[in-house]
Amino acid sequence: MNKTTKQILEEKSKEENRTPLYNPEALKKIDDLYENWKNTKVREDDRKTWEIVPHTILGSEIPRGLVYSPFDIKDFDYLEDNGFPGAEPYTRGIHANMYRGRAFTRRQLSGAGSPEYVNKRIKMLLGHGATGMNLALDLATVQMFDSDEPEARGHVGVVGVPIDCVEDMETIFKDIPIDKISASIVTHYPRNTAILFPMYLVMAERRGIPWDKLEGSVQNDFIMECVVRNGPEFISPKDSFKLQCDNIEFIRKNVPRWNYVTLNGYNLREYGTSGITEMAVAITNAIESFDEMIRRGYDVDWIAERVAFFWAPANDFFEEIARLRAMRRLWYRITKYRFNAKNPRSMWMRCHVQTSGISLMREEPMNNVIRAAYHSLAAILGGAQSLHVDSYDEAYSVPTEESSLLSLRTQQIIEAEIGVTQVVDPLGGSFYVEALTDRVEKAILDEIDEIEKMGGLCKCVEVGWLQKKITSFIKREQEMIEKGEIKVVGRNYYRADDVKLPDIKVPEYPVGLEGKMKGKLERIRRERDNEKVNRCLKTLKEACKKGGNITYYTLEAARANATEGEMRRAIGEGFGSWKPPLVV
Amino acid sequence: MDKKIRVLLAQPSLENHSRGIITVAQMLRNAGMEVIYIGNSLPEQVAQVALQEDADVIGISVLCGSELVFGKDLIKFAKKKKLREDLLLMLGGIFPPQHIPKLKKIGFKGIFGPGATKEEIVGFIKGALPST
Repeated sequence: MNKTTKQILEEKSKEENRTPLYNPEALKKIDDLYENWKNTKVREDDRKTWEIVPHTILGSEIPRGLVYSPFDIKDFDYLEDNGFPGAEPYTRGIHANMYRGRAFTRRQLSGAGSPEYVNKRIKMLLGHGATGMNLALDLATVQMFDSDEPEARGHVGVVGVPIDCVEDMETIFKDIPIDKISASIVTHYPRNTAILFPMYLVMAERRGIPWDKLEGSVQNDFIMECVVRNGPEFISPKDSFKLQCDNIEFIRKNVPRWNYVTLNGYNLREYGTSGITEMAVAITNAIESFDEMIRRGYDVDWIAERVAFFWAPANDFFEEIARLRAMRRLWYRITKYRFNAKNPRSMWMRCHVQTSGISLMREEPMNNVIRAAYHSLAAILGGAQSLHVDSYDEAYSVPTEESSLLSLRTQQIIEAEIGVTQVVDPLGGSFYVEALTDRVEKAILDEIDEIEKMGGLCKCVEVGWLQKKITSFIKREQEMIEKGEIKVVGRNYYRADDVKLPDIKVPEYPVGLEGKMKGKLERIRRERDNEKVNRCLKTLKEACKKGGNITYYTLEAARANATEGEMRRAIGEGFGSWKPPLVV
Repeated sequence: MDKKIRVLLAQPSLENHSRGIITVAQMLRNAGMEVIYIGNSLPEQVAQVALQEDADVIGISVLCGSELVFGKDLIKFAKKKKLREDLLLMLGGIFPPQHIPKLKKIGFKGIFGPGATKEEIVGFIKGALPST
């Protein structure tokens, strides 16, 4: 059997020529006083329970000592473990100047309502100086159903914008210079990425804009499709993973400035895993994608250059900082030693973060402003590239304009008022943070090892290992909250005597949009060349059965004005359906 | 002999978040109830299974905005298929508080939001059903 990633890295670390930072003589002096201090100044209780476990929502249950000192990082080697920002091993940051050079991108999600309404909203944001946008799709579009299918009933335009075909893309982006802005389109899954992104490309084509001018990103993650999703039908993890790689291949070749995968991350953790599992799964996904792309004949640097990650900073403040640092170091080690990457860009752990939604509560929603501010601060102290701050009405609906603005202000206050962006990696060298960074890195690598030894991530999903892990986590966390072991202010800790739901303002659900979208679909189906569409769909279905990159076929179908639902069905019929293991 | 309370748990077809409904399923099982978990379904399917399984309770979990539409359709099919009048309808998830009176009018007796405890949910069911 091949060596696991952990084995490769452990062998490599033995070769390191380490120069511990701390002077042995100094350590000895400290050691002598340490025992004395412990026995005289520290209470017996604290001596006995030196390490305690902080219990937080989505926590990792990693124990923490009473206080950290050089002992906890005796072998710390500045150059091997931290290095300088923008240089190997990148622990301190992927760029030398971090936020002095480029502030973190304030990329707030938006998009509910009709395509016409969203078009106006984007123009307004661009008018206010935004250089990028982050488009949320409605549930029917995410799940690849047309607005007129029975399953779409009640969902059209409610949590995002509906897109059935190229014409909707054209409406959303009408008179918007797509060759000058960065468009993040939150297509979660490989299957909907393979359908919707070609629609974006066809729109560009029809406007005479060459694809090499387009900048933006898609999500394209098979874990999203097969694990962090419930839906009426599925394709198998293997097939979804294949589509993920087809998308990577197609986009890398044809749209050179586009980010073709944003590894999860966020949605997985929010469903119910620790920050450790969140990262282990995303990394294993990346490793398997690289292996597949190498098998297809590509160079790892060519693929790794635009890989990005998506994390969920939650309540455990210092762990959130430590794990971004750990992830940067681990990603460097994996790309360099497991894959022999040569380009520094391949080794940078670029990430967008969204503050944890499940950590925001329904009671006393204004408390959530505080929570989200701490999540955001941790992410910035940890060195994230791009940030979305969840709004205080998270437990009520999609954000209103007011709550969305407050999220943006949260970011701007961190960036401009509190002086944390002027210094790179301000917590580097802290005995606690360095010890925790090491511990977290080791924990992530152990979980990667566990997944690899079980046969890989696809296998873990097929047999339900990951799903079971999630449902156990959910169960344990619920029990801990009900017992009060996880304290939630306003809910089980200092709960007000009369907890009333505040009269909170929420956005209106769109009226009449479903009918409008249905009418448009009828017209489009009448006006297009239906023979051509049927031929394209048939070819698409065959391609799924035969093999080869199917994105070329979804592109053809999009050109012929096939709808998303039609393409979903063709792909589903081509691959055959999969029943996810039901683990409740 | 105590007959187990039979609870049918479902979500609208396209609802992709299931953490809440899984949590509730675990709570109800631990409380000794029979959980029939059908997941993502159309309203007609929910009504059909409720009939076949002789469910005492239907619990729907909604987060993405279709609570009123789904609820109305569910009642329509429940009436069409002549489901028991005393079938307890419950709804949980994320929706505007302003919809709660509308949901009650549609026929949902138990309506719960994030943070609802095992005591609240199980207690409600046991209190609302005639003793078996």
